[in-house]
Amino acid sequence: MTALLPLPVAIPLVVCAALLATAHLLPGRVPDILAMLAALAVAFLSAVIAVQAADGPLVYWFGGWEPRDGVHLGIGFSVDAASGWIAAFIGLLYALTFVFAWGFFDRTHGHFHILMLLFLAAMVGFCFTRDMFNLFVWFEVMSVAAFALTAYHLAESSLSGAINFTVVNSLAGFLMLGGIGLIYAQTGTLDFDGIAAAVAQGGRNPVVAGAFCLVAAALMIKGAIVPFQFWLADAHAVAPSPVSVIFSGSMVSLGLFGLAKVSAVVFGGSDQVQGALPMLLIGLGSVTALLGGWMALLQRHLKRMLAFSTISHAGIMLTGLGALSIGGTGGMLVYVVGHGLVKGALFMIAGILLATQASIDEIALRGLGRGIWPAGIAMALAGLLLCGLPLGTLDQGTRLVQGALSQQGHGIALAATAIGAALTGAAVLRAAGRIFLGLGPDPGDEAGAPSADEREKANRPLWLMLAPCCVLLAVDVALPASLIAHGLPRAVSAFMHRPEGGSLAEGPGWLPWVSVAAALAGAGYGLFRKHLPAFVVRPVRATQSAPTRALEILHSGLIGDYAAWLAVGVAVIAAVLAMV
Amino acid sequence: MSAVTSVLPYAVAAWLFGVGLYGIATSRNFIHLVGCLGVCQAATYVLLLGLGYRWGSIAPIFYDHPPGTPAVDPVMQALVLTDIVVGATLTALLLVLTVQAYKRGGSLDPEKLRPMRAGGKSGRDQGSSRVSEGGQQAP
Repeated sequence: MTALLPLPVAIPLVVCAALLATAHLLPGRVPDILAMLAALAVAFLSAVIAVQAADGPLVYWFGGWEPRDGVHLGIGFSVDAASGWIAAFIGLLYALTFVFAWGFFDRTHGHFHILMLLFLAAMVGFCFTRDMFNLFVWFEVMSVAAFALTAYHLAESSLSGAINFTVVNSLAGFLMLGGIGLIYAQTGTLDFDGIAAAVAQGGRNPVVAGAFCLVAAALMIKGAIVPFQFWLADAHAVAPSPVSVIFSGSMVSLGLFGLAKVSAVVFGGSDQVQGALPMLLIGLGSVTALLGGWMALLQRHLKRMLAFSTISHAGIMLTGLGALSIGGTGGMLVYVVGHGLVKGALFMIAGILLATQASIDEIALRGLGRGIWPAGIAMALAGLLLCGLPLGTLDQGTRLVQGALSQQGHGIALAATAIGAALTGAAVLRAAGRIFLGLGPDPGDEAGAPSADEREKANRPLWLMLAPCCVLLAVDVALPASLIAHGLPRAVSAFMHRPEGGSLAEGPGWLPWVSVAAALAGAGYGLFRKHLPAFVVRPVRATQSAPTRALEILHSGLIGDYAAWLAVGVAVIAAVLAMV
Repeated sequence: MSAVTSVLPYAVAAWLFGVGLYGIATSRNFIHLVGCLGVCQAATYVLLLGLGYRWGSIAPIFYDHPPGTPAVDPVMQALVLTDIVVGATLTALLLVLTVQAYKRGGSLDPEKLRPMRAGGKSGRDQGSSRVSEGGQQAP
C-alpha cells in the first residue's frame, strides 16, 4: 500500500513531461483531457491513501533508505489522513479548474497545462513530505510555477503583479532555507520526527527559536498574513481566472497548512515556540481577518476584491491554528477545504463575467449580468456561504474554529472571525446585487479603488463554465458533516502527533447568523446608500473615508514598500518569540 | 579558532540579507532590484556554508582520503547547490518578466509600473490597444 504514496506526485510530473515533449503534435483538446485525467487520478489516489491512513500514517522511504539506529539519511513521504484528504481536495479543485479552462488557452502548446500540472505535483508533495528540505523544494517548485502562471497574459499589470509576487515569495524562500539550515545545524537531521525528538530534548534554545521564526515567516508570506499580505492582492487580481481559482483555493491555505504541520510536528517539543504561538497566531490572524475584510469591501475590481477576501479568510484560519488544540487545527483543516470550494467557485464566476461580459469591474458591470442570471444565483449563494450561512463544509470549519477560540476565551479573536467573514460576504453580495440586479447606481468609496480591465476569451458556452462552479458549491453544501465530525478527531491527532482528546467543541450557534445579518446589512448599505436617511449615511462616510484612503495608500503596489513590511513582520515574529 | 571567526559567517550573512533587503526597498530600477535579490540570496549561501564548515577538515570527497577523515558537512553543500539552482531559475524568470514589462510599459522604474492604481481607467475607457495585446499568447 505504501508503494502508492509517490504516485500522486509522480503522475502529474510524468504527464507534465510527456505534454512538454509532445504537446505541439497533439490535436486540439487532448492536453485538456490528459491534464484533467491526471488531476482526477491524483484526487482518487490521494483519497485512497487517506482512507488507508485512517488507522495511522503511511510512510514511504525513497530508494528504501529507511532510518537506522535513529539516523535519518533518506527522504520520506509520510501521509496521515488529514494530509491525504487535503491532497484529494486539491486534485478535485484542479480537475474542475481544467474543465473551467476548457479550450481557454488555445495555441499555447499546452504550456498552461504543463505549468498547472507542475504546480499540482508540488502542492501534493508539499502535503506529503516528512523532510524539511524536501518541504522547501516543493515550496519553491510551487512558487516558480505560480510566478509563471501569474504573468501568463503578459499584459502590463499582470507583469508588474507577477514581479511583486516573485520578489516577495523568493525572499520567503530564502528565509525558509536559512531557517532550515539553522535547525539542521542544531539537530543534525532534516526529518520531521528526527528534528522533533532533538528539539524536545534540547530545552530553551535561541537557534531553534530563530529557525522557527524564519520558517514561520516564510510560510506566513505564502499564507498572506498581515504584514506580508501585499503581494497577494497584486498577484491574484491579475492572474488569469482559472489560475486565481487555484491560488486562492489552495495555494494560500497550503502555506498555513504547512505552518500547522511544522509548528505542531517539528517544533512541537519547544516550549518557547509553543508559548509564543497563541499570541502570535491569534493576534496576527485577527488583524488579518479584519484588514482583509475591510479592504475587500472597498474594491471595485472583482478579482482584487476576492483576493482581499482570501486574505481575510486566511486570517480566520490562522486564528484556528493559534488555538493550538485538536479542535482549532481540525477546524482550520475543514475550513481550508470549505473555503477553497467556495472561493474557487467565486473566482470562476469572475471568470465567467470576464468571458461573457468582457469586464471585471463591478461598477462598469452594473446590471449587465441579467442575461446570465444562473451565475448570479451561484454568486449570491457563494457570498452567503462565505459570510457564514450555517450550511456545508465552510460553516462546519467556521464553527469548529470559533468553538476552539471561545473555549479558550479569546473573545476578540472570536469577534474578528465573525466580522471578517461578514465583511467579505458583504463585499461579494454587494457585487452580486449590483451586477446581476442592477442595484446601487451610486458607488461609494469603492469608486476610488484601483481597477484595470482585461478580457478573457468568450469561446466557451456558459454551461461549461458554470458547471464546475456549481459542482464546487454542491460539494461544499453536500459533504456530509457527520462523516467529517466522525473522522476528524482521530485524523487531527495523527496530523499533530498528539493523543486524541475528547469531542470537538463548536462555537455559539447564533454567531454565524450574526455574520450573515451583518453581511446583508453591509451589502444593503452599499447598494441602497441613496435611499438611506442622511443621519445614517453621514457618520459612516465621515468615519470611513480617511482610514479607507490610508489603507489604499498602504497597498501601494511598490515592491520596495513590501520589502520593508516584510522586515517589520519578521521583526514582530522575532520579538514575540523573544518575549516568551 | 577564536570567537570572532566562529561568529563572522553569521554576521556576514545577516549583513548581506539586510543590505539586499535595503536595496530592494529603495530600488528604482528592476534590474538593480534583481541584483539586490541576488545579494539576499548570497546571504543564504554564506549562512549554510558557515553552518556546515568544520575547521581543519577536508572537502567531503573521499577519493584520495581514507574513509573516516573529518570532512565538512556534505548535506549543507547539497542544500547550497539546490539553492543556486533555485536562484538561477528565479533570476532568469525575473529578468524575462522585466524585459516584457519594459516592452509594454516603456520603463524599468517600479514606481511607473505599479500593478493597478486607484483611478486607473478600465479597459473600456482606454480603448482596446492593450487588451488585444494582452491576449492569450504563450509566455
